[in-house]
Amino acid sequence: MKIVVCLKQVPHQDARLEVRPDGTWIQEDNLKFEINSYDTYALEEALRMKDSGGADVVVIAIGPDRVTQSLRTALGMGADRAIHVNDPKTQGSDALSIAKILAAIVAAEKPDLVFTGLMSDDGNFAAVGPMLAELTGMPHTTAVMKVEQKNDAVRAERELEGGALEVVELTRPCLLAVQTGINQVRYASLKGIMAAKKKPIETKTLAELGLADSISAETSKVKIEKIYSPPKGESAEILSGSTDAVVQGLVAKIKELGLL
Amino acid sequence: MGNLLIVVELQNGKIREATLELVSIARKLAQARGDTVKSVLTGQGIDGFAEELAKRGGGDIYAINHPTLACYNVDAHFQALRAAIDACSPELVLFSNTPSGWDVAPRLAASLDAAFVSDCFNIEVRGEERVFYRRLFNGKLDAQLTTKATVTLATVQPGATAAWSGTSEGSVHKLDAAIQEGKLRTRFVEVKTADKGGVDLSKADVIVSGGRGLGAPEKFSEVMQPLAEALGAAMGASRPVVDAGWLPHEYQVGSSGQVVTPKLYIACGISGAIQHLVGMKSSNYIIAINKDADAPIFEVANLGVVGDLFEIVPALTKAIRAAKSA
Repeated sequence: MKIVVCLKQVPHQDARLEVRPDGTWIQEDNLKFEINSYDTYALEEALRMKDSGGADVVVIAIGPDRVTQSLRTALGMGADRAIHVNDPKTQGSDALSIAKILAAIVAAEKPDLVFTGLMSDDGNFAAVGPMLAELTGMPHTTAVMKVEQKNDAVRAERELEGGALEVVELTRPCLLAVQTGINQVRYASLKGIMAAKKKPIETKTLAELGLADSISAETSKVKIEKIYSPPKGESAEILSGSTDAVVQGLVAKIKELGLL
Repeated sequence: MGNLLIVVELQNGKIREATLELVSIARKLAQARGDTVKSVLTGQGIDGFAEELAKRGGGDIYAINHPTLACYNVDAHFQALRAAIDACSPELVLFSNTPSGWDVAPRLAASLDAAFVSDCFNIEVRGEERVFYRRLFNGKLDAQLTTKATVTLATVQPGATAAWSGTSEGSVHKLDAAIQEGKLRTRFVEVKTADKGGVDLSKADVIVSGGRGLGAPEKFSEVMQPLAEALGAAMGASRPVVDAGWLPHEYQVGSSGQVVTPKLYIACGISGAIQHLVGMKSSNYIIAINKDADAPIFEVANLGVVGDLFEIVPALTKAIRAAKSA
C-alpha cells in the first residue's frame, strides 16, 4: 500500500500578519511557518494506516527552501520519503496550478490513497484536493472525519453542516480531503527526528516534471488584486483601562441586559 | 452578454435559502453587465421545484432528473452539472459554499480548466470585470480577486447576502445527463445525524465559550466553568478546542456544531474563524475577550476587551458573584 500526503507550509497560526507593500500578499520575511493544520491531520491519518497495516507514506510539498523544514518534520513523524517541488515559478500559483503540479507527481507515484487537508490556513480555498482527484482520475470526498479500509474500497465519513456525518464508499485509488479533528496528531519523537535525517528528500523543478512552460504566476487564472484588514464591526465598543475598570464595565452591561 | 448559471440546492423539501441568495447575486451582476441568469437543478422528482424557481428569479432552468441524484453523490452530480454547463456555456457558475458545493465545484473547475474562487461574501462588476471578495487566513484578512478564464466557477458563503424575493419568467428545459450508474466510483451509504450528547445550547440564555486562547484543557474547569456557574450560563467552545480533544463535539459552536442565538454570548480566547462566527453572530449581545486587538471576533462583538483572559475572566467571575450576593 502506498499513500501520498500533500502538505502545504503556511504562516504560523499565531503569526502577526502584515500586508506587503504591493498589497497582494503578506510580508513573509521573518515570519514563522508551520505545516498547514488540516494537512497535519491528513498526515496523521496516513501514519495510522502505516502503523496498523503497513504502508509506504510519501509526503509532497511545493514551495521555497524553507519548506524543507516542514518535510523534515513530516519525516520525523514517520513518513518514509519526501518530494519537494522547489521552483520560483510556482510562486503566485492558483489552486489549479498547484493541483497540476501535484498531479504530475501523483501520476508517477501511482499511490493507492492520496490524502490532502480540506483547505489551507492561509488561502482557505479548499480546492486543491478535489482538483487533484479530477486531474488524476480518482474519486474523492472532502471534510473527512473517519476513514475505514475495505477490500478494494474506502468507507469515509464526511462532515455536513451542524455536525451531521455522511457515510460514503469510494473505490480505490481515491483521494480524501481531511477535516481537522479527525484524530489527535502525534509529535515527532526524538528517535523519529534522528531517523528522519537519513530519509530522502527528493527535490524537483517544474522542468523535471515537464511543466516548465505551463505553470507560472501568469498562467494562474485567479489573481489576488488586493488584500486588506477586514472592516471592524460598527458596534464593537472596546472597554479599556485597569482590569477592575473593565470588569465593572462588563458587569454593568450584563446587568443592563437583565441577566444579573 | 454572457450567461450566469446558478447551481440550485434543495433542503428539507424546499429550495434552499442559499440558492435564493445566489439569485440575488446573479441578478445584481446580470443587471450591471446585461447577462442572462439561468439555473440548473438536479435530483429526482424535481420538476415542481424547477417550475417554482423559474418564477422566483432563477430564469430558464435546466432540470436533470435521475435516481442517482436523489442524494448527494459527487460523481453523479459532477456529470449532471457538467452536462448543464456544456449546454449553457456560462461565463460564471455560482454554487453555495455548502458540503455539496465545496465538494463538487473545484472538481468541475479542474475538468473545465476554469478559474475557481471559493467562499465569496460578495461579487461585483467593475467595468467589464467581475471582482470577487473573500476571506483569507481564517478571516484575519480580506481579499479582492479577479479571474482570467473563459469560465469562472465560484462558491458563495451562505448568508452573505439577502435572498431574492422578486419574480422572473423562465421555462424549464429537461436535460439528460446520461449518467451511468455502473460507472459511479462513489456510493452514498447514509447520513448520521449529530449527537448532541445532552448539551443543547439552543435553549441557553447565556453562553460562555472558550477557544484556543485557553491554551490547555484544564483551563475550562479552572477558568470557564466558574464563570458559567456564576452566570448560570451554558458552556460552549470553538472548533480548535474540540479538535484538540479538550471538550467533546457537542460543545462546539459553529457551522459544523451548534448554531446558537442566546441573549448573551461571551467569547473568551476565540479569534473568530468564519465557521465559528456563523454559529454565534446572531446572538442578541456578544462580548469578546481576546488578547489580539485584530482578532475577527471583535468584528461581530458588541463589546470587546483586549486583554489577558486569565486576568479578566476570574475577576469577572468574582464581580458577578459579588453582584449576585449584594
